[in-house]
Amino acid sequence: MTTTSFRDVEQLSASLDGQLSQAKKTRLEARIRSDPALTAALADLRQARAILRRTPKHRLPRNFTLTPKMAGIRPPVPRSVPALGWASGVAMLLFFFTLGTNLLGRISFGAAAPMNAAAPMTNEGYGLGGGPAATQSPATDNTQVTPTAEAFVMTAPETPPPGEMRLVEPATNAATKSTPKLVNIWPYIWLGLAAVLIAAALLIRRASVQAFRRKVGIKRNT
Amino acid sequence: MDKPALIRDAQHGDLDAFNTLVLAYQDIVYNTALRILGDEDLAADASQEAFISAFRALNSYRGGSFRAWLLRTVTNACYDELRRKQRRPTTPLEPEAGDGYEVETPRWLADPNASPEEQLDQAELEHAIQHCLENLPIYFRTVVVLADIQGLDYSEVAAAVKKPLGTIKSRLARARLRLRECLQSFRELLPAAFRLEEERGL
Repeated sequence: MTTTSFRDVEQLSASLDGQLSQAKKTRLEARIRSDPALTAALADLRQARAILRRTPKHRLPRNFTLTPKMAGIRPPVPRSVPALGWASGVAMLLFFFTLGTNLLGRISFGAAAPMNAAAPMTNEGYGLGGGPAATQSPATDNTQVTPTAEAFVMTAPETPPPGEMRLVEPATNAATKSTPKLVNIWPYIWLGLAAVLIAAALLIRRASVQAFRRKVGIKRNT
Repeated sequence: MDKPALIRDAQHGDLDAFNTLVLAYQDIVYNTALRILGDEDLAADASQEAFISAFRALNSYRGGSFRAWLLRTVTNACYDELRRKQRRPTTPLEPEAGDGYEVETPRWLADPNASPEEQLDQAELEHAIQHCLENLPIYFRTVVVLADIQGLDYSEVAAAVKKPLGTIKSRLARARLRLRECLQSFRELLPAAFRLEEERGL
């Protein structure tokens, strides 16, 4: 009787699984017949393998199928959505551009305009020259044209000293004459267009997501 | 079921085709994870993780045994779970020997006073097997689970653990020897047929 080396155990284990070549298998079988230690080792390995093969299988706690979210699948984006997104971005830029130029134009042309609007108030407040009827009417027109003018009306009396108000008087007429030129509806057009484009992009995107969900849901049920 | 066609469709992003494959393989994947990890919740997490990883890496599958490829994914997921578990260790259920070290032998599980008939319960046998499996080093455990419990052949095991055939043969032989030694301490729990065979062998 000889002691079993690990090399022998390895060969015995492989022979159990039919992984030995015919020549090796024949040699090993001859040795097993003559060596009780090898016979015992083979029995041990066989028994260990047999009992492992009897290991019961467990029932699954749940199914492991993937949802689109788990798989990282996103609904396809319709081609029109990025286009509408870009268009709305451009419209917003144009909106800010026209709004900016409008404001700059207003400030540069008629630094007087606010003064003009402020004049009636100062006239009333300080009791300085000029008839209210002559100055009030252009100011009223001005506030009807643009809401921004109103802001200047409200702030102007606080900054200029009362004494300067008289000097502003002549400019009042020039400012009121140029008022129609300041009417600029383009910012509002661009803003409206941007809003419409964004809304359209969102609606199309939502419709495509819903269509994708319906499609996935139908396919998963079948 | 035309598995190659399903794999092809899944590689093109067809989730339904992949889910059909999941239904076909989820049993072996979950049971492999359960035997490697020894915990049902961890095994479920590892299985789900493995299927998600498999779907994302499906284009790396280049033919061969799909089962082995999938089992490689789940064994990797199990290794990740074990690493996480090591980083957040839990209190062991095994008793301590008095010197602060755990009793490594599984003999404490076997009750010598109880009759063998009372212990011939499937759950206890399974517990014994699982205990012995968990005493094995992880790479031996993986090989023995794949080859002896799941019934994969050597080439599939080699593909699943990405090791040469010689390594598989060696690890399997060592694992079987160690398991045999461990299971001897649960002799009372072993099925009668196994004990008779054991008596004949010895």
